[in-house]
Amino acid sequence: MERILRSEEMAEIILLPVRHHSPACAMHVSRMIESLRPGVILVEGPENAGSLIPVMVHEETKAPFAIYYSYHDAEGLISEEKEHYKCYYPFLDYSPELAAFRTGERLGIRTAFIDLPYGDILAASQAGKGLLKKDEEKNNYNDDYLLSRNAYLKQLCENTGMRSFDEFWEKYFELNGIARESGKWFEDLLTYCRLARENTPEEEMEADGCLAREAFMAGQIRRYAAGEKNSNAPVLAVTGGFHTPGLKALLEAGENAGEGTEKSAEPQKKKGQNGQKKGMVPGKDQGVYLMPYSMEAADALNGYASGMPFPGFYQKIWERLQEQDFGEAAPYEEAVLDMIVAAGKETRRREGYLSTYDEICACAMARGLALLRGKREPGAYELLDAVLSSFVKGEYTIATDAPMRILRKAMTGRTVGALCRQADVPPIIHDFTDQCKRFGMKTGSTLESEVTLSIFSNQKHRQTSMFFNRMLFLKTAFARKIKGPNLQLKKDRNLMREIWKYKWNVQVNSALIEVSVYGATIEEAAAGLVREELKKELGARESAQLLTQVFEMGLREQLEAVYARVHELMLLDTDFYSLADALKSLMMMEELGDLYGTKMEFGELIHIGCRKLVLLLPGMAKIKDEDLGRGMNVLKLLYQVTGRGEGAFAQEREDYCRTLEAMTGDPEIHAGVNGCIHGILYGGGRESAEAVEVVCRGYLTGTERQLACTAQFFRGLFFTARDLVFIGEQFIGMLDAFYGRVSEEEFMELLPELRMAFTYFTPRETDRIAGMAAGLHGKGRGDILDRTEILPEWYSYGKELDGYVRGRMDSGENARG
Amino acid sequence: MGQEFIKPPVEVRYREELEALRNTDTGKRPENWQMSPRAVRTFILGSPRPIVWGGKEITVEKKYFGNDALVERCIVTLAGNRGLMLVGEPGTAKTMLSEFLSAAISGVSTNTIQGTAGTTEDMIKYSWNYALLLAKGPGRDALVPSPLYVGMEKGILTRFEEITRTPAEIQDSLISVLSDKVLNVPELGDEGFLFARPGFNVIGTANTRDKGVNEMSSALKRRFNFETVMPVREASMEKRIIINEVNKLAKESHIAAEADEDVAEILASTYHELREGVSSYGHRIDKPSSVMSTAEAVSVYYQAMITGYYYGDGTLSMDSLVQNLVGAVSKENKDDLEKVKGYFNTVIKDKSSKEGGLWKEYYEARKWLR
Repeated sequence: MERILRSEEMAEIILLPVRHHSPACAMHVSRMIESLRPGVILVEGPENAGSLIPVMVHEETKAPFAIYYSYHDAEGLISEEKEHYKCYYPFLDYSPELAAFRTGERLGIRTAFIDLPYGDILAASQAGKGLLKKDEEKNNYNDDYLLSRNAYLKQLCENTGMRSFDEFWEKYFELNGIARESGKWFEDLLTYCRLARENTPEEEMEADGCLAREAFMAGQIRRYAAGEKNSNAPVLAVTGGFHTPGLKALLEAGENAGEGTEKSAEPQKKKGQNGQKKGMVPGKDQGVYLMPYSMEAADALNGYASGMPFPGFYQKIWERLQEQDFGEAAPYEEAVLDMIVAAGKETRRREGYLSTYDEICACAMARGLALLRGKREPGAYELLDAVLSSFVKGEYTIATDAPMRILRKAMTGRTVGALCRQADVPPIIHDFTDQCKRFGMKTGSTLESEVTLSIFSNQKHRQTSMFFNRMLFLKTAFARKIKGPNLQLKKDRNLMREIWKYKWNVQVNSALIEVSVYGATIEEAAAGLVREELKKELGARESAQLLTQVFEMGLREQLEAVYARVHELMLLDTDFYSLADALKSLMMMEELGDLYGTKMEFGELIHIGCRKLVLLLPGMAKIKDEDLGRGMNVLKLLYQVTGRGEGAFAQEREDYCRTLEAMTGDPEIHAGVNGCIHGILYGGGRESAEAVEVVCRGYLTGTERQLACTAQFFRGLFFTARDLVFIGEQFIGMLDAFYGRVSEEEFMELLPELRMAFTYFTPRETDRIAGMAAGLHGKGRGDILDRTEILPEWYSYGKELDGYVRGRMDSGENARG
Repeated sequence: MGQEFIKPPVEVRYREELEALRNTDTGKRPENWQMSPRAVRTFILGSPRPIVWGGKEITVEKKYFGNDALVERCIVTLAGNRGLMLVGEPGTAKTMLSEFLSAAISGVSTNTIQGTAGTTEDMIKYSWNYALLLAKGPGRDALVPSPLYVGMEKGILTRFEEITRTPAEIQDSLISVLSDKVLNVPELGDEGFLFARPGFNVIGTANTRDKGVNEMSSALKRRFNFETVMPVREASMEKRIIINEVNKLAKESHIAAEADEDVAEILASTYHELREGVSSYGHRIDKPSSVMSTAEAVSVYYQAMITGYYYGDGTLSMDSLVQNLVGAVSKENKDDLEKVKGYFNTVIKDKSSKEGGLWKEYYEARKWLR
């Protein structure tokens, strides 16, 4: 720790470096506070969350929870896009910051947050850096990356034989650290932090907004210290270890210069245009709330890269540190044993193997490894190694790694936090409660309920459905549709009712708080999220799908905007299938428009889609085998679209048919597509049955490869014009000739394709074809149905015979072997 | 004397290092171990600081590259009650690791059962010298001990190579020995119990490619801790291994040539990319079905090197490198050669035009791919 000695203007200041989420650190912080008895405890964290502290330390509030910060850049202070921003500041029981608050509460010491408000931090960061990082889904306020990622550390891990910073930290600061005297422990940490800081370029700290924050924090500390100048008790500032050296430098420099509180930020401001003071960003656009959090979300391994991994494991350590009289106790050894036993039990339950002896071996392994690696007790990494080596039988693959998965899950933990009743919630939660009341839904219980909605006949039901759809879109896991028309997959469109299941739990509220950045009501938030979605890189397919979602959610104001975007994307997109899917969605919405009560004209978009598809059509001649089904569907779709609306699409129809005719002239055209096109041209009256027959015969009498394509040709043809078969006997005759020409081996190869070709016929039609085919060979329809029955006894005899022969062969082999 | 063999055993090759470690070791030793677990770790994973022993500074090199934690787990397993089973693809240095472990722990790496399809139970337990048996009757003199017997008697490690190549029922003769640590020789009557001395344990190795040949019974599996040895994941480390191993081979065969960094890099990246299925430029590559192990790469390099040494001008030519590569990949499947051809025509082509130099020569040597 660092001390800035008492002066006339200020009380003594003590700077305590911490690492977020560390049991040893939390323990030492509590002890320090107990022994120092400071007058005020200052904690790193956005100042505008100050009002939440009483809720955080309330006895009904259970960790893990997080402070949720949101900011809507309405005035474009951060970037011209005027985006929404949000970040989390998670707290676990063993977060040193929370330990400081709790100890403060217990001892009746005043506590406060001292960092810049969230919006100001954003304003002080350069684009793409610090909390403005875009690639991470969730931004964490207390990210330790400055402590854990630098060249110095990499070398350090290599020299000490550690796999990662987390293992290094566990060995030196947790395992060996809990036995150290608190003052010494903080000195060690400070040494490490100084080295980490020396190895971090200043530009990086500037870009992250780190320097601007430190300037503000130093100002705040000085202000509190000035307020306490008449007291003997020191002012304690608990901040991330990385900042401690910086803060000390600022505080000492400021003291000599005798500068005022807010002015200390000035030197920083000159360095970059982004150095800012508090108050640059309006408070009204910022939200700050507490929300329950989960261990899974807090686990660094889930990609949020904050604090230590394995929160469930360290929670156990923390609990033991609380219970035990420290010194002789071995919290890690006990926790490791607990975890081994728990993972063993679960493995036994799920996988069936694993004995107590395996667990004994795992314990011995963990202890042995700790000795070999010079650790006081086995830690998380020894636990992982022990289970890997003693529980996993055979090669380590996805089939055998169940024990490891079970252990990892246990080490992550499953606890979900809870807030006391006094906790303030954002308006969106109030809106949610109101809506639930309005639609008569229970939110008190966590049991799942079911409702059936007649969405097309009952106005209130339609509104309920809109509410559910919005909740679904906001990813709140509140409601799920069990049955009903699915516009996204274009399924079950004939259904008139929707069946929904809904279930409320704490996570629904957390999810709502997360999206509260987009608006104060469910409708606003959904609309805001739609606007966010529109900014993403979309194709015609995705944008049309979004349109269907907006349609279901009944967000009328948004329809226009999405419509415009779909228009734009349909012009841009050149992916054949994506356009076809978009076209299909549009047609569907046009059909359903009346039922859903939206008056939107899709005609123009459909025209555009049609024209573009026809333009792209020639490229489809050389389609891949696996795309044939999709391609044929599009051809059919275009035929249907262009035939609609009494000549409204006459021009498109003409273009379409011409393109098809041109395609059939392509010598390399895929046989399936060729068949499909000929079927369409025949159906459209542009080609006679005889002409189709000529093409078909061409394949049939062609060279070996072409002959094999006949099956695909039939498949395409039957897809669009199966009635051809029943005109005269030519086609049946040709099919017959085809079967006659292929060898049995070839036939087996073509069988799947042929089967596909015949799926387009109804059973009655298949029957008729069979009759006609039988006629060609002088038999009646009845004759081919008459097959010899195979009795079950024959099967069992054959099976027995097989077994007997196998047995004889095996014994013969053994005798020889 | 070490120079008189093609490949001297580990304890001979690293005699100096082992002696220095044994004599300067201050850690606690498990009974009958030649050195403490920490010293064993140092022997295998190396130490940055040289050891001063016998008036000399002896540097302990890093001998096993890859996963340090795995080595640590192996050492702890061997000090415990269960056997150690190393599994993995061919050429991942399982055997090498087991030799290092037994040389460091027991001082010998040659107490080995070499598992084959023809291994019988008496090769694992004991057999008889029939002349003595007939002359004197059953007695310890007439008994021919197996490596397992020797390991139990002396309290040293027994290595069992390629355990899954031996028939499952033969493998199972290990079960009771591993759990009870006693071997019963009924012919010797009351004196027929051989109780294992402390220090005894078994290191088995098995190929995952051979799975299904003779799957281990779960009873036997339970008596082992398994360690899966993965192929080296970094091309740079693979390059280092190739250079180290080739130089070692050359020294043992008295060939006055050294591995070339650039050639090793080309070969390492070829093997690495063919194994991973993606090139450093991002090309997608068809993976050959044969094993693309680092050990194979070493032998390809070494073969090409001695070709140049004996038949050429003493330097390694890209032509002979590619010729040897052909031999290495077209073992099982003809398609593999086509895949390697494809690899040359895309990845190596691009690299030769961008990097030039040796890569160009390498690309031009593609004519040998047939």
